[in-house]
Amino acid sequence: MGPLSDASAARGPLLLTVSMPVCTSCNRLIQPGARAVKFNCPNCGEMTIWRCPKCRKFGRQYKCLKCGFVGP
Amino acid sequence: MSEREVEVAVEEELLLPRETLLSAGVHIGTRIKTKDMELFTYRVRPDGLFVLDVKKTDERIRTAAKFLSRFEPSKIVVVASRLYGQQPVRKFCELTGAIPIEGRFAPGLFSNPLHPERIEPDVVIVTDPRADKQAVEEAAAVGIPVIALCSTDNEFSGVDLVIPTNNKGRRSLAAVYWLLAQQVLKERGELALDQSLSVPLEEFEAKLESKE
Ligand SMILES: [Zn+2]
Ligand SMILES: [Zn+2]
Repeated sequence: MGPLSDASAARGPLLLTVSMPVCTSCNRLIQPGARAVKFNCPNCGEMTIWRCPKCRKFGRQYKCLKCGFVGP
Repeated sequence: MSEREVEVAVEEELLLPRETLLSAGVHIGTRIKTKDMELFTYRVRPDGLFVLDVKKTDERIRTAAKFLSRFEPSKIVVVASRLYGQQPVRKFCELTGAIPIEGRFAPGLFSNPLHPERIEPDVVIVTDPRADKQAVEEAAAVGIPVIALCSTDNEFSGVDLVIPTNNKGRRSLAAVYWLLAQQVLKERGELALDQSLSVPLEEFEAKLESKE
């Protein structure tokens, strides 16, 4: 989602910039209210890990970009 | 004299001596190995029993302790529905200030706002994600992280951090919870790094009704 040009912004609906979390495993956006989980990397505590309901349910791996820790 | 490269045996640094862990049966898995647990499985014995890699058990106890030390003690809940997990969990909670849930997990305990004894933890430890399924599901419903003791037959569904270990044996459960308690206290700075837990390991063991 890049910045809108003045012209399209003037014609289109009002757009707000919101930051939505992204699943650390599948990189998909996590919808508000989804049964996701977030926690700080168990190892370094520095990166916030987000897991979407699907990745969590299927036990998919996640990787910390700070320290390389791979979970679960 | 010139220098020469020689091979030196390096003492492996485990939280407990390898022999102690092995005699407690921490590495003993089951005859089933799930795909999820492949990473933590060391080998299969001739009798068909899968064996866990105790080095990884050790590593994960350290990681879990670091993770737990970042939470308020009273916001940590530890669940054991099966009998052999209850004494170790009780003892772990006594020493670390966590909340034990032993025996049957009352449905809605985490997830139902109308539950009379509702608890709102920030993190949950389960002794066996299959036996403690209700707790895992409710943790998913309220969005809190789950640490699970997993043997070779467990799956990772709903689990955020695995501690690979024999999660059925009486002495194995005692050893793992003892080590975890010790490591959590060290991470919190409540126990010096060169000290060991004041409570002997035996006190973590479930008592047997009859002779072994
Ligand atoms: Zn995902
Ligand atoms: Zn990390």
